[in-house]
Amino acid sequence: MTVQTVSGFAVETDLAYDLERHMWVSRQDSGVVRIGMDPLGLETSGTLAQLSFRPDGGVTRGEPFGSLEAEKFVGPLVSPLSGRILAVNESAMADPGLVERDPYGQGWFIEIAPARLAEELAMLTHGAEAIVEQFGRKIRQYRIEGVLAE
Amino acid sequence: MSPSALRVIDFGRVAPLRSQTLWHAIAHGVSAGAPPTLSLMQPDAPYVSIGFHRRLEEIDQAHCRRAGLPVYRRMVGGGPVYLDEGQLFFQITLPLDMVTAVRARAVRDALAPAVEAFRAVGIDASVEKQGDVVVGDRKISGHGAGQIEQAVVVVGNLISRFDHAAAARTVDTPDQETRDEFEALMRRYLLPTPADPIAFASAATRAYGSALGLDPEVGRLNGYEEEKLAEVDGDFLDEGWLRGHPRIPPNVWHVKVKAGVLLLRATDGASHAQVSVAGGRIVRARLTDPELNGAAAVTEDSLAGLTVSQGRAALSALGSAGDRLGSLLHEIERVARA
Repeated sequence: MTVQTVSGFAVETDLAYDLERHMWVSRQDSGVVRIGMDPLGLETSGTLAQLSFRPDGGVTRGEPFGSLEAEKFVGPLVSPLSGRILAVNESAMADPGLVERDPYGQGWFIEIAPARLAEELAMLTHGAEAIVEQFGRKIRQYRIEGVLAE
Repeated sequence: MSPSALRVIDFGRVAPLRSQTLWHAIAHGVSAGAPPTLSLMQPDAPYVSIGFHRRLEEIDQAHCRRAGLPVYRRMVGGGPVYLDEGQLFFQITLPLDMVTAVRARAVRDALAPAVEAFRAVGIDASVEKQGDVVVGDRKISGHGAGQIEQAVVVVGNLISRFDHAAAARTVDTPDQETRDEFEALMRRYLLPTPADPIAFASAATRAYGSALGLDPEVGRLNGYEEEKLAEVDGDFLDEGWLRGHPRIPPNVWHVKVKAGVLLLRATDGASHAQVSVAGGRIVRARLTDPELNGAAAVTEDSLAGLTVSQGRAALSALGSAGDRLGSLLHEIERVARA
């Protein structure tokens, strides 16, 4: 795992990211893809109180696969990829703090069998240089918009 | 309706079901292009609502059935709440792109005009960092928020009168003493604020219009929203929807009265530890252990005012009973901190 600090945020650069939906994607050796939340998603959500994932079935890129509640605000978790849900992280559902404590490790959300991996991975941000550059840009944008403190 | 309009819909008195489904339908409507909307309504009978992620088992369903209280699951956050004719509900529904991505700020921004409305009717309200609308340290409005498709809705209420006993009765508690403690905490920290609902609605209309830079215009549901309303009515009456997704019961039973005010109870066999916590300090404790040997009352009194962590340390002097109870307080502390 290679982690770089980008404007104060720890970013794992061996993954791929959907920066608009604040999700990271990790390809496992078995061909399964694991999905979790990136640090900007955690920052803007606040303290996670509840997580819920669809237990199975298909997911489509851009569509919800679950929901998150923080600050009494319920919102969708939107999938960066299409595929079939193989597993959900019951530990994270039971203890959402796990996601904040270990967002890239034990705090994953779901595992899927991807349906259009090559095509959809190309839409994500990957490679250390691109990840650092685009995270930095996103953070600057959020600071200008007042989403993040300067 | 003009493009710079804040649509205002006051539904007046409606059935309990409609006091939930109307604003869910509006959220779908705003997502589909209807203008930002301030909606208001009062239920014409009492009922219970549970937040999107919560377990139905948190509610005393048998009591609700006997008392004829409907139970509805809403699509915003928060826990089980008792709602009745003494409350005026308000909701502000905005397109997603009008709302900051920072959830805590989104909630506070959305409730700030409501706070102005409370003040306009003589209630010295403020909004806390966690989003609770308060007078001093007492909560005066319940709130929740949610994204429904491409709209965000934030809900709150003017509570002119509140039946604390009836509300406590609807929550599933381990025993009557726990329920009594829950009721006592609500009486202390949940303050009804009698005010003219018409005056509040007018003030809220002005405040939201000003905050959003929009001109309030009286409106109504559009055709799409009427269709969605019928659909949402059906969803809310569906048993599967009410049951919700299966969720693992927490190790520590707990109920929150407001941010920082909780009642928690942990059990391990014949040992029980129950604490009410406010502002990080134990208000009251109730301890049971086979080896306390008559020391329970004194021990409980000694914990008042301590943090839960300090309470754990204090219990270590009680030998094996203290160890067991300390472990339970450790579990309680973890939940209280979350």
